Amino acid sequence: MLLAAILLVPVCTSLVVLVSPFRRWAGWLTMLAMAATLALAAAAVQATLGSGAVSGAAGWLVCDGLGALIVVLVAFVAFTAAVYSNGYLRRRASHAQNDDGGSYYPLFNIFVASMLAVPLMANVALLWVALELTTLLSAFLVGFESTPEALEAAWKYAILTTLGAIIALLGVLILYWGTRIAGEQAFTWNELIAAAPAMPPTLVWPAFLLILIGFGTKVGLVPMHTWLPDAHSQAPSPICALLSGVEVSTALYVILRLFAVLSRVPGSEAGPWFIVFGVLSVGVATILMVQVRDYKRMFAFSTVEHMGIILLAVGLGSVDARFAAAYQITAHALAKSFCFFAAGLIVLALGEQRIAAVRGLGRRSPVAAVSFLAGALAITGMPPSAVFASELLILKAGLARGQYLVVGFLALFIVIGFAAIMRHATRMTFGKEVDMAEAPVGRLWSAGAAPASCLTALVITAIPLVVFGLCMPAGLAGLLNLAGTAMGR
Amino acid sequence: MLVHIGYNLLQVAVVIGFAPLVEGVLARLKEIVQSKRGPSIFQPYRDLAKLLCKDEIVSRRSSWIFRTAPYVAFTAPVFVALLIPVLTRYPLFFAFMGDMLGVGFVLAFGGFFVALAAVDSGNPYGPMGASRTRMVGFLTEPVFLIVFMTISLVAGSTIPYIVQGEWVRSSAAFFAPWHVLLVIAFLLLILAEDGRLPVDSASGHFELAMIEKSKSLEYSGRGAALMKWGGAMKLFVLLVVFLNVLVTPWGLAGPADISLAGVLLAVPLVLFKMLIFLVVLVVIESSLAKLRLFRISEFTGAAFVIAVVAMVSRLFAA
Amino acid sequence: MPSTSLLLSIEALAAGVFLLTALGTVAARQLLTCFHLFVWQSLLLSASAALLGLALSSPHLLAVAAITLATKTMLIPWLLRKTVHDEVYRIREIDQVLNIPTSLLLALALAGVGYVFFVEMLGGMAVPAYALVNLPIGVAVLLLGAFTLTVRREAVAQLLALLVAENGVFFAGIAIVPNLPAIAELAAAVDVPVYTLVVGLLTRRIHSELGTTMVGRLTALRED
Repeated sequence: MLLAAILLVPVCTSLVVLVSPFRRWAGWLTMLAMAATLALAAAAVQATLGSGAVSGAAGWLVCDGLGALIVVLVAFVAFTAAVYSNGYLRRRASHAQNDDGGSYYPLFNIFVASMLAVPLMANVALLWVALELTTLLSAFLVGFESTPEALEAAWKYAILTTLGAIIALLGVLILYWGTRIAGEQAFTWNELIAAAPAMPPTLVWPAFLLILIGFGTKVGLVPMHTWLPDAHSQAPSPICALLSGVEVSTALYVILRLFAVLSRVPGSEAGPWFIVFGVLSVGVATILMVQVRDYKRMFAFSTVEHMGIILLAVGLGSVDARFAAAYQITAHALAKSFCFFAAGLIVLALGEQRIAAVRGLGRRSPVAAVSFLAGALAITGMPPSAVFASELLILKAGLARGQYLVVGFLALFIVIGFAAIMRHATRMTFGKEVDMAEAPVGRLWSAGAAPASCLTALVITAIPLVVFGLCMPAGLAGLLNLAGTAMGR
Repeated sequence: MLVHIGYNLLQVAVVIGFAPLVEGVLARLKEIVQSKRGPSIFQPYRDLAKLLCKDEIVSRRSSWIFRTAPYVAFTAPVFVALLIPVLTRYPLFFAFMGDMLGVGFVLAFGGFFVALAAVDSGNPYGPMGASRTRMVGFLTEPVFLIVFMTISLVAGSTIPYIVQGEWVRSSAAFFAPWHVLLVIAFLLLILAEDGRLPVDSASGHFELAMIEKSKSLEYSGRGAALMKWGGAMKLFVLLVVFLNVLVTPWGLAGPADISLAGVLLAVPLVLFKMLIFLVVLVVIESSLAKLRLFRISEFTGAAFVIAVVAMVSRLFAA
Repeated sequence: MPSTSLLLSIEALAAGVFLLTALGTVAARQLLTCFHLFVWQSLLLSASAALLGLALSSPHLLAVAAITLATKTMLIPWLLRKTVHDEVYRIREIDQVLNIPTSLLLALALAGVGYVFFVEMLGGMAVPAYALVNLPIGVAVLLLGAFTLTVRREAVAQLLALLVAENGVFFAGIAIVPNLPAIAELAAAVDVPVYTLVVGLLTRRIHSELGTTMVGRLTALRED
């Protein structure tokens, strides 16, 4: 019942805000609904911590440690994004000429529902459907601004990730075939893990590769990442926070789940695949970060980097590494949504996304400058951000496994990423203001004080980001442990 | 033995005798599709008779090639008729003289002579048609080879009689994916080779756009009759290979049946199959527009791809 | 009631033609041809599912056949026609990155590799014959669709390529998992029209905002 409620609240809200009397308060209703969802998710986490796994809706929904972690992160970022959207959209509405933005909140709610459904679906085939829906329902949010760039980004996003999902579908079907051959009936993660030792490895490997390529497209793993910087830089900032903070993690969730299945297939070694793809993503993303000209694009590349780090951590294969991976998922979701909220403040203040055009931000919009710098420091792993602690744990786990080369590369790339982001961030904050000859493309929103709701969202996000970096509450540790177990066992 | 030789000659007679009929039916069907009445289906016979009665004019500047080409064009399909199963399923006397590649060579020989004669005639359109025919030929021949190789993979032989037996043998072989792919590739080849739409318009009268017809523009009298008849027979034997060997290997006189009645019964059945195919051909020709010359490579490229897919799927079938 | 082996042989025939329609979508120049090829292909997919369902007496597959028939041959073509402006369907020469013969050859190589890989993979296993036909052909069609998607610059052509790839996966799926839970079948059946609708509407928005559907020509966003 609890799990069904988590899905029903946003779905119902999305329907309600379509109806005319409620449309005027769509922002507030959404905020309320997201708060309720967050509370329900917290209850689900509580229940999971108590019994290890919860199931609901006659077994169609299930929630174990990893699922609960994703659910609560999605709910949290969705809540803060809903708060942020309130101010962001109102400011936008006062300047947009032709568009009332009426489709924003219905899409927002249903998109959040689809993301929540991914970790809750027990049946893997249905999970595929949910994951595909996350793409479809967010495509219009990505193209929300209707500028040529936004539409281009939305198109690439919809087409490429759907192609990925179709490729992954073949993998999913082959996995189901393997489950049947191994004598299991249902198609849930538990049955898959139970069936793994008896599955023919000749089926499991192609299935794994198809899913890795297919859902890897959605995660943004190099070399399937090409759409990600576009979509994550062109969407409205609160949507960027959702896309970059949690949507990619829901896709990564499926790949991480497979690790537990693969490690039980006789004579298999899944770790190297994870590590190779992870290092590749981290390396390419950090190097591309050096050359970006758009600060939202920079954070999008940073998402690719962090997905690579998580994948690599799981590939290391030890209990500590999996714990650190779960920690990293959490830290990334918080830090990345903070970054995009901060980036949104700059967009609101200057209507500019080009790095070169926002020099001297410190004087032009001190609030935006401070939060942007804080975000940049947090995402690059400066203490007291939780990213610092999680990356440190991953490096430590790698050393403990004797993977010196991998750890060396990872550390090198993290440093490159740090240097790239900080170089851009300091230029933006302290650099000398230059007069851009050409007018900013697309939307020119007049400067003004940052909306209160946006600042509220920033503060709400900052609290756990710092707290989890400084100390590890017992509840979080328990959840991360459970999540790590679900990835490996 | 003698019976087999006799039946072989009977096959030749059938090809010579009924080839103009096929042409006539095709022309009539086309007119019907265009809501016209059209000439009688026996019109080609009348045309041939008329042409045979007329005087022949040969350019003084042309050589022996121009004069012998009609005979070569006429006899090449006759030789082919000896090699392929027109009426019987059991191999006849000359069956093992040449395989499907042999069929291709004999037809190509006739085509080569006609092309030379077109150049020889001195008519400005002749060489143009000849070079275009060669271009189409260059593009189709690799596909023919792949089709034949795949057939030999399936049947273990390229002798048409044995290939035909392979499809009859089991329904699984008949319905196999590569079979339908081979059939379609071969159909495209027939369209290209016989100068049908979308490669060439057989009924067009615009010399600049002609491929096939422009080569025989200079012939008159007996030469024209033989060229026309040879062309009709070429279509006939191609259809026989396509229908009796590849698509519908039924309706022929069975292995045990060597009576004359059984063999003669095959004649209407084969003609009936051809009628059905002609309807399909007319539908194809009526619904497609002629391709630009340099798009023909795309058409034959498609045939090539289909043939290769057939080969790959056969090669790697478990 | 025809025999099982005959049904299975006819299913194999449908598989051959199915592959052919996918090759057709690579080679077709006119948008409307692509569109019709997709409808025919979906019809073949449905027929194949029905034949397999009869041969294996599996009600699941018959349901899949009915769902495919309803969604892919009726609902999706209708949606595509409704959402995208008629003007787009009159495109006679789809803008391509590569010319057609080159792309056909590349597609051929790609599909061949996928086909052979999967046949070899299944070689050592005790697999029913129809799976040996359907899975490799499904994979080949998936690859052909993915390839067409990358080659075409036209929005609707890309969407059709996506749908073709999806048909390929389902074609493999009906042979290897004839007994997916009904709810998953239904969900997948809902999913496909939804993405047709979403991508169709996106195309319409691009057409109305930018006046073109040449999505391949949109290259404002890229690395410097």
